[in-house]
Amino acid sequence: MRIDNLNDMNRNYIFLTIVMLVLAAGTLFLTTSDEPKQIAPEELLQEIIQPSRYVTTDQVAKMIIQGDPSLLMVDVRPEGEFEEYALPGSVNVPLENLLDEENLSYFGVPGVKVVFVSNDDIRADQTWVLTKRLGYKGTYVLKGGINCWMQTIIDPLPPNEDAPKSEFEAYAFRRGAQIYFTGAATLAPDGENVQVQVRRREKTNVAAGGC
Amino acid sequence: MSSEKTTIQQPKYINPYLGGVLLGLLILVTVFITGRGLGASGAVKSAVVTTANTVAPNATEANAYMKQFVSDDHSPMYTWLVFESLGILLGGIFSGIVFGRMKKIRTDHGPRITSRKRLLLAVIGGALFGIGSQFGRGCTSGAALSGSATFALGGVIVMFAIFGTGYAVAYFFRKLWI
Amino acid sequence: MGPLIPNGIIGEGWDFVIAILLGIAFGFILEASGFSSSRNLAGVFYGYNFVVLRVFFTALIVAMVGLMYFDYVGWLDLSQIFILPTYLTPMIVGGVIMGFGFVIGGYCPGTSFTGIAIGKLDAIFFTVGLFVGIFLFSLTYPLFEGFFDSGYLGNVTLTELTGIPAPWFAFAFTFVALAAFWGTMLIEKRVRKNMKQYKF
Repeated sequence: MRIDNLNDMNRNYIFLTIVMLVLAAGTLFLTTSDEPKQIAPEELLQEIIQPSRYVTTDQVAKMIIQGDPSLLMVDVRPEGEFEEYALPGSVNVPLENLLDEENLSYFGVPGVKVVFVSNDDIRADQTWVLTKRLGYKGTYVLKGGINCWMQTIIDPLPPNEDAPKSEFEAYAFRRGAQIYFTGAATLAPDGENVQVQVRRREKTNVAAGGC
Repeated sequence: MSSEKTTIQQPKYINPYLGGVLLGLLILVTVFITGRGLGASGAVKSAVVTTANTVAPNATEANAYMKQFVSDDHSPMYTWLVFESLGILLGGIFSGIVFGRMKKIRTDHGPRITSRKRLLLAVIGGALFGIGSQFGRGCTSGAALSGSATFALGGVIVMFAIFGTGYAVAYFFRKLWI
Repeated sequence: MGPLIPNGIIGEGWDFVIAILLGIAFGFILEASGFSSSRNLAGVFYGYNFVVLRVFFTALIVAMVGLMYFDYVGWLDLSQIFILPTYLTPMIVGGVIMGFGFVIGGYCPGTSFTGIAIGKLDAIFFTVGLFVGIFLFSLTYPLFEGFFDSGYLGNVTLTELTGIPAPWFAFAFTFVALAAFWGTMLIEKRVRKNMKQYKF
């Protein structure tokens, strides 16, 4: 009698073992999307109407001068324009190629601030909306784009005599930046762009906890 | 031989595989609801900090480790793990009642040592475990089990370290148990 | 959908109620499986009681496989769950110390609570030990604060470390677990005649 019970028990265990193996093997065949979830339109709208995505040319200039490793400038203009002039250390991802897999991996890297750059900020803004839609965080837009960069950093306008002190301080900074970017202290000769070591995206985790 | 079997009572335990499946499902539900796994050692840590803070608040503030867990607006006991551990206690009582294990206070010990020795060893073992759990950022429930279940590298490391060490040194403590 | 509370689907006020409920389930399962007795727990290291192996390993593979399916059907966003951070050397050291504590003390924190629940004095003493140990740790913390924070690799998952997709780990663990279950069952059958009956 005891032997019969054992056989029944064994049969049940064999069955359960097979079930578990099948379930575990099944997970190997599940195809899960590797991209972050797309955000809802309402969320996107909220993000769009906030101006917090804009960074000024002063801020970017400062980050470049200080060698801030979290900065990654992504220039979304066509290749030709990029070759003519680009911000030192920026990477060229023409808007048409934005959704290429290898380009997407620039975004969503924890700790990296991606700043989109274009001539005005229109293209950069479009790019920002696109990547926001795809759910990427840590993205910004250079306000005024390369045009503003020229007017404030490369060739800054001195403030009027009756301007507030802060404008003079900003001008002083910009003069310093001008020397840095156009004088002997430029990072690379001939406007050629420095190859930046960029980290590609890995999974991110949000919730906090403990044991 | 058969008379020996009838005099010794086999306690009623559920099938371990069933227990495992239920526990696995519980972890799933816990992660699904809260975004984190289960745990236990954190509650004792909270208790230590709370006690220290009540008895000697200035010293606790000065202690580099404990001050991380002291907050102005609520007691350190007001954490998820403390409530969960309270639940563990209640669940244990519930199960003890259902399976008839609520009996008078007693001590488990191996056949070759005395109760007194066992109790002393329990404190020592507990102290070691307490120290280890801080380095490990968790215990078997929180780090090893829940951590590994979520594929965390840290969880797997702790799991292998605990059980690997256990097996490695079990021989030297065999008199305690067998 | 999930995780529910971080996503605001369940209000944060329910946090502690849910904690207690989950804890009750945890405690019940542990005690019902026999984890409230230190002799049962220590048995896995001596081969006279494999309940720890069976419950722990089964729970692990069920959870791993389950998480994969939950992620696939969209019930759970795996990128939002808490991943235990890795502090390489401190965790190894911690695990080793806990290994000693487990073999000497015969409990771990969660199981000691269930032991207290049914009146095990050694469980009470073990928990007191936990208290003392953590307190001692806090007092001596300044001595090894640097070491404590060393080896930080972030909230790394096995997949991030090796590039191997999570389902492979789930399957590997499942395979090893099932092999271990059958192996220990065969071992037990061999020694069935010699097995001491126990009463705790």
